[in-house]
Amino acid sequence: MTNKLKRYEKIEFLGEGQFATVYKAKDIENGNIVAVKKIKAGSRIEVQDGINRTALREIKILQELSHRNCIGLLDVFSQGSMSNVSLVFDFMDTDLEVIIKDNTIILTVANIKAYVLQTLQGLEYLHLNWILHRDLKPNNLLVNSNGILKIADFGLAKLYGSPNRLNTHQVVTRWYRSPELLFGAKQYGVCVDMWAVGCILAELLLRVPFLPGESDLDQLTKIFQVFGNPTEDTWPGVKSLSDYVEFKPSAPVPLKNIFIAAGDDLLDVIGGLLVLNPLKRKNCTDTLKMLFFSNKPTPTVNSKLPLPQSIKSVKELEKPSLKRKLLDSGEGGTLPKRLFF
Amino acid sequence: MKDVIDVMELQREKSRRVQPLDYRQLDFSGGFTPARFIFECGVKLHAQPLTIATATILMHRFFKEVDQANYDCFLIAASTLYLAGKVKDDPLKIRDIINVAHNTLHRGSSPLEIGDEYWNMRDAIVQAELLIMRILKFEVSIVHPHKYMLHYLRSMDGWLGKEQCNAIPIARTAASFLQDYHHDPSILEYSPQHVAVACISLALQCYGVRLPLIEDNDDEAWYSIFVKDLQKDKHWEIMEKVMEVYNKEPEIVN
Repeated sequence: MTNKLKRYEKIEFLGEGQFATVYKAKDIENGNIVAVKKIKAGSRIEVQDGINRTALREIKILQELSHRNCIGLLDVFSQGSMSNVSLVFDFMDTDLEVIIKDNTIILTVANIKAYVLQTLQGLEYLHLNWILHRDLKPNNLLVNSNGILKIADFGLAKLYGSPNRLNTHQVVTRWYRSPELLFGAKQYGVCVDMWAVGCILAELLLRVPFLPGESDLDQLTKIFQVFGNPTEDTWPGVKSLSDYVEFKPSAPVPLKNIFIAAGDDLLDVIGGLLVLNPLKRKNCTDTLKMLFFSNKPTPTVNSKLPLPQSIKSVKELEKPSLKRKLLDSGEGGTLPKRLFF
Repeated sequence: MKDVIDVMELQREKSRRVQPLDYRQLDFSGGFTPARFIFECGVKLHAQPLTIATATILMHRFFKEVDQANYDCFLIAASTLYLAGKVKDDPLKIRDIINVAHNTLHRGSSPLEIGDEYWNMRDAIVQAELLIMRILKFEVSIVHPHKYMLHYLRSMDGWLGKEQCNAIPIARTAASFLQDYHHDPSILEYSPQHVAVACISLALQCYGVRLPLIEDNDDEAWYSIFVKDLQKDKHWEIMEKVMEVYNKEPEIVN
C-alpha cells in the first residue's frame, strides 16, 4: 500500500470541499494526469465512526459504473492508520459552472445542445442502472480539455426503486432542488434529477442561476413566481406532502418571456423538464427523443466546444508540436502540398 | 407483502429452539463460527437480511486473503457487520454493535460502561474496518443470489401453478438454504445465479416436486431457461456444499 502513495505524484492543489481536498497528480506508472480526492479524516468523533459514509457510497457506486459521461474511478487507496481514504479519478480541466460564469465564452445553441446532450446521456445511464445522483449542479458537471462532459461527485447518489425505503428530502443544492423535495417528499425517483437538469439548462441560457432562492421557502416562492402555484388538479397529492404550505397565488409566466433567445424546440425541452408535478416531468430517455436534439443546429463536436481561456492557452501551447508532426509526416508524401488541376 | 419470505422470522423461530452457544469455546471451523456469530448479532440488531448476508460475504472474503490465526474472528465479524451496514445503507450504530457483540460473547453480562474497554473496542472495530477495506482492495459491492432467486421463483409460480406453490413451501425452503449457505466460505466460489438455482433445486428435491411439462433428461435441465452455463455436475456440487453446512452445525453445537 505504501507504493500507492509514491505512485501518485502531487502536482498542485485543486480545491477543497466539505468532505475532501482534491489534488492534481501524475500517475508515475503510466504518466497520466489524474485527480486525487483525499477524504478528510475530520474530527475525532468522525474518526471514531470509521470510514466516511459519503466516500464509501461514492466508491461502491463508481466501481459499478462505466460510461464516457460519468467520471471514472481509477483507483482507491488509503494511507496511515487513520481512516483516511483517497480516490483517484480521471483528471478534468474545468466544470460547467466555470464555463457559465466565464463572460469571454459565448455559448451558442449548438454548444448548449452538446453540453445538455452529454449530461442527459450520462444521467440516462445512471437512471437505467437504478442510481439517482441527487446532487446535480453545474459545479458537478466536469469538462475536460477535449470538451467531454462527465457527471461527478456521487457522494449523495443512491440506489432507487425500492418501494419500502424512505429517502431523505435534504438532498440537492437548493437552487436545483425540485418542488417535491422542498415540500418534504420522502419517496421520489428520477424526477429530482430531471428538475436539476432543467435548472442547469436554464442557467446555460441565462448565464446566471435560474432560481437562486435564499431559503427553502424563498426557493418555492421563486419557483411558483415562474410556474404558478400547484393545485390538486395540476399536481394531485401535493397537499398531502409533509411540508406543504400554501403560497400566495401567482400566475405562470410564459417561458418565452424568460428565455427570449430560445427557439420553440428548446423551450419544449425546458417545459418538459421543469414541470411542477414530478410524475409529469420527462425522463432522460424521453427528453433525448425530443425534436430539439435532432433539429438543426447539430450539437458542437466535443473538441470544438468553447473552454475557459486558461485551458485554451495550454492547448494552444501544445498545438505547434502537433502541427509540426503533421508537417513531418507530410514530407513523407501522405499530405499533398499542392493541388494540380 | 404476502409474497415476501420473512427470513427474519424464520431465523427468530430457530433461535428460540437452539441453546445459546459459548462462542469463546469454539474454533474457527472454516468460517462457520464467525458467520454464525454474525447471524446472531445481526438478527439481534434487527439488521436487514441482505445486510447480514453482505457481512458474511465480506468476512469470508477477508479470511480468504489472510491467515485466520492472526486475527480475532469476532472482532472481524463485528467490523464486517458495521461495514455492511454502511454498504447497504442500513444504519447500524457502532455502539449497538459493540453492546450486542459483547453480550453475545459474554452471555448474561451487563452492558459495557463507557470506559477504556468500550473505547478500545470501538477503536478496534474502526481500525479493522479500514483493514478489511484495504485487504479487499476497496471492492465491497456484492452481487447477491437473492434477487436472482426471487426472480426465478416468481417465474416458477406460473410454471408450477398457484395451488402447488401455496401448498408446498418451496420459496421458504429455498430462501432458508440460501441464508444458511452463507455460513460456508465456498459460497464465494460460485456465481450468484448458480447458487440461486442450486438452492431452489434442493428445495424441489426435498419436497419431491416434479416440474410439469419437462422431461428431465441428460441434454437439458429444468433450470436451463434461467441459466445457460450451469453444468449438471457443478449443480450437484453446489447442492452438496449446501447440505454440508448442516453437517457442520452439530460439530459446533455439541
